[in-house]
Amino acid sequence: MFTANTTLMLVATFLPVLGGLVLLFVPKEQRRVFEVGSLLLMIVSLLLSLPFWFGYDRASDAVQWAGSWTWIPALGVRFSVGMDGISLLLWLLTTFIGPIAAACSFSSILERHKEYYIWLLVLQTAMLGVFITQDMFLFYLFWEVMLVPMYFLIGIWGGPQKLYAAIKLFLYTLAGSVLMLVAILAIYFLQHKTTGSYDFSLASFQAMAPIIAQQSKNYQHLMALAFFVGFAIKVPMFPFHTWLPDAHVQAPTAGSVILAAILLKMGTYGFVRFLLPILPTATKELMPWFIALALIGIVYGALVAMIQKDMKKLVAYSSVSHLGLCMLGLFALNPYGIKGGLFQMINHGISTSGLFLAVGIVYERRHTRMIADFGGLSKSMPVYATIFMIMTMSSIGLPLLNGFIGEGVILMGSFQAFPWAALVATLGIILGAAYMLWMFQRVMFGPITAVNEKMDDLNLREVLYFAPLVIAAFWIGLYPKPLMDVMDAPVHKLVEQVSPGFHAAEALAAKQAVAAKLGMQGMTAPAHHEAAPGHEAAPAGHGHEAAPAAHEGHEHHEAPAHGGGN
Amino acid sequence: MTGFAQGLLDALLRDAHLITPQLFLITVATLMLWPGDLFFNRAEKHKWAPITMVILAITAYLVVKSVDGEGFSRMYSLDGLTRGFQLLCILGSAGAVLLSVKLLDSLKQQTVEYYALILFSLAGMLFLCGATDLISVYFSIELMAICIYILVAYLRERATSVEAGMKYFLLGAFSSGILVYGISLLFGAAGGTTTNLADLNRALALAPTTSNFLVYSGVLMVLVGMAFKVAAVPFHMWAPDAYEGAPTPITAFMATAPKAAAMAAFLRVFGVGFHGVTSDWVLPLTYIAGASMILGNVAAVRQESMKRLLAYSSIAHVGYMLLGVLSGDPRAGAQAVWLYMLIYIVMNTGAFAVVIYLQGKGEGERIEDFKGLGRKHPVLAFAMMVFLLSLAGIPPLVGFFGKFYLFKLAIEQGYVTLTTIALLTSAVSAYYYLGVVKEMYFKQPEGEAAPMGAAAVFIVSVACALVLVGTAFGPWLLDWAMKI
Repeated sequence: MFTANTTLMLVATFLPVLGGLVLLFVPKEQRRVFEVGSLLLMIVSLLLSLPFWFGYDRASDAVQWAGSWTWIPALGVRFSVGMDGISLLLWLLTTFIGPIAAACSFSSILERHKEYYIWLLVLQTAMLGVFITQDMFLFYLFWEVMLVPMYFLIGIWGGPQKLYAAIKLFLYTLAGSVLMLVAILAIYFLQHKTTGSYDFSLASFQAMAPIIAQQSKNYQHLMALAFFVGFAIKVPMFPFHTWLPDAHVQAPTAGSVILAAILLKMGTYGFVRFLLPILPTATKELMPWFIALALIGIVYGALVAMIQKDMKKLVAYSSVSHLGLCMLGLFALNPYGIKGGLFQMINHGISTSGLFLAVGIVYERRHTRMIADFGGLSKSMPVYATIFMIMTMSSIGLPLLNGFIGEGVILMGSFQAFPWAALVATLGIILGAAYMLWMFQRVMFGPITAVNEKMDDLNLREVLYFAPLVIAAFWIGLYPKPLMDVMDAPVHKLVEQVSPGFHAAEALAAKQAVAAKLGMQGMTAPAHHEAAPGHEAAPAGHGHEAAPAAHEGHEHHEAPAHGGGN
Repeated sequence: MTGFAQGLLDALLRDAHLITPQLFLITVATLMLWPGDLFFNRAEKHKWAPITMVILAITAYLVVKSVDGEGFSRMYSLDGLTRGFQLLCILGSAGAVLLSVKLLDSLKQQTVEYYALILFSLAGMLFLCGATDLISVYFSIELMAICIYILVAYLRERATSVEAGMKYFLLGAFSSGILVYGISLLFGAAGGTTTNLADLNRALALAPTTSNFLVYSGVLMVLVGMAFKVAAVPFHMWAPDAYEGAPTPITAFMATAPKAAAMAAFLRVFGVGFHGVTSDWVLPLTYIAGASMILGNVAAVRQESMKRLLAYSSIAHVGYMLLGVLSGDPRAGAQAVWLYMLIYIVMNTGAFAVVIYLQGKGEGERIEDFKGLGRKHPVLAFAMMVFLLSLAGIPPLVGFFGKFYLFKLAIEQGYVTLTTIALLTSAVSAYYYLGVVKEMYFKQPEGEAAPMGAAAVFIVSVACALVLVGTAFGPWLLDWAMKI
């Protein structure tokens, strides 16, 4: 068994692109070599990434397996990598989706195999790189590099409107990220002005938060907006979402899967990693606007999904709605909300890739994705129908499946922070169930036409690439604790960075609630009524000194009872 | 009288070591014209290209080995900035010479004059890089430009080439007039005693307030004249036509070497000479830079001719580089511009090499000629894609590094709005660069593949490798830049 360490992390990250370089020298007629080769590379990368899941120290909120090498000392740029729980989850999601994306391409990519698989491998490394980098310069590098392979995947192997979709994706994202670059540089110089050193490391940027908070309102808001726009385009949040339906609909199946499962997560990851910890004050001030956009996204995405005739477009718009929900959770800025948001990012990655794969399968067989062209598929393709149903249920948040946990935790978090918003979000979830089930009904049930009757059910390869998604959906739905555990410490740290003293205040509030409850019991219990005022005073004073550790609640529980006895 | 002549001769001899590379170039180029021209008959003229390359290599060696100093009544100074930009000019010229071989062969237009003119023009550039006096700036510009006017009109049977040369010449002469008028105004405003940049800076600071207007108009006119030379908006009108009409290697030449020299002069004139009167030129130059970025990039979107596209894109790149001139710290500005220019020369020469290669087969002029290049010439298309993405500033290609360093400086100097414009317009530029990539990779090819010439393969692969891995060598690039 491997032990996880920095070198292994770099190997797992760069293996796809290095393998791609080797494939460059294979003659282009060798279709099988590219297909199997890229699948194997993705699988090896996945296997190499697994030790990190087991080796992660869940009690620590530090960046683990950190490694840092001098690169451009004059600018303070270092090649520094490492992961905390949040990065780890998304990094693992990426290695997990990689083999699936390769496997589903065997039958959908019919020309120019060599280029396709090489681009796919380049894209994989670029995405993995984003999650492990601990340096802003390096982050920006990986962040932009991703665009080029995606542009080619859509532009060459896409649908009829591929050229438009590819360039739209590219320019939209590029415009957003250059704004972010300005903000990064502005903070970099602010840092130089205050600390006298040039440093691009993520930690030093996060440490700038209190200094940024002392700058003018205007400065802070501009910085926050520059980051916000850069990430919001990637997520995408309303009104920056218009590239998404085009890109999704035109992309080949694997492109859609990667877009939905990982590329969109880059945006949400950006919020968690950069906007929230670096600019907490400005973020909180602009929060009403961000929440409003998230809510509009949730409801608007759902309503537009409802009227779609094209299955792929429907799933694409459902992403807008689901990502809106993720954002709502993150913006709640409390542990539940952020954990729920992160959790739902993973869930969305699993369920939406499953749905895109499912749409891809009928498209390969019929060359149409129109809902109206199908009906009664559950008769001719029972296995397919079952898997499609599991993915649909996972997407709409049925209990026992992954989506339920994520949505539930997000609603808990956002209800704490802003109840009215949670109410609107619930509407989005209900609409989500409506459009997904309606689509499922129209495609799977009803009278079957002669063409649809002849459609083949899933073959072994297809079942094999669906299997991990189905297993993951059930595993997360039934036993989410391991995932939550991984996020615990980093989310705790993040909340503390965004709202210093949050945990202490919450622990205090909890104790006061307990105390109040006990105090009430004390008043109702006739034997203790003369000691009641002492009850209320003692726990409050105790709470101020107490560290905000959960287990202390138990000791505390007994303390007033004891005091009451005297 | 003899005393004066003796003194002059002594001074010249004393300072001659400062301009060894220029003296070498001018001597050799003259010898090439006569008797050199007699050595090779008409069919053998292409042998001048490798000879020119050797001459350029020797010149580069002389530049590297040169020693810092100042001379010729402080009209010429040899320092890090001079040397750095001189090397860029030599690099750009070498690229142009390499590119010329095949094209001139196929047009049967090989002559010794072509190469000699490039060398004479290079001598002008080397003077310009070190010019520390408005007068020496002026005559170096003329030496450089007059040779290029001829080179632009070199294909004299071709109407477009002659028209381009004529247009360039007329507007160039006009702008020289403005430049020299501005110089004379400043000479008067500074008390009619000096045109040396450092002295001028002191004199202008002491000039009475009554001559404020004189200083202002003088600075503005010099700015306009210089903006003409680097083709910055709104003084760019000659560039697209001249670029399109000129023989393609000369287009590549114009976009690189003279621009490097002109940027060096820009940096020195404004960073040293007008450093004290910053308020007179910062605002107009800000507008010129912003307009160049916006118009250059937006106009390039609509182009169908590859050379025009690259012409407009070079206008935009000049806009970016002017950010370095605007820098309040002239030395840091010069370093950033030098780095950007170095990277720009490599990627631009690479892109032109691909264009010229296609042109050898009667293609490459129009963007649609790139259709399906990805299938016909995978290596060539890949290299072109790398150059174009690098020009657009997409990381990790080295073009991004140059932009990053320049924009970093601009933000440090407080030009946040202008840098935001620069970054957003570079996103616009991605649109038209990717338009070419789209033709190469997303469209089906017509016709069959053909083997490539050795010189083009060499340039393309070397430039492509440099652009691909350049960012990884960022520390070395910065070390070089710090020598400026």
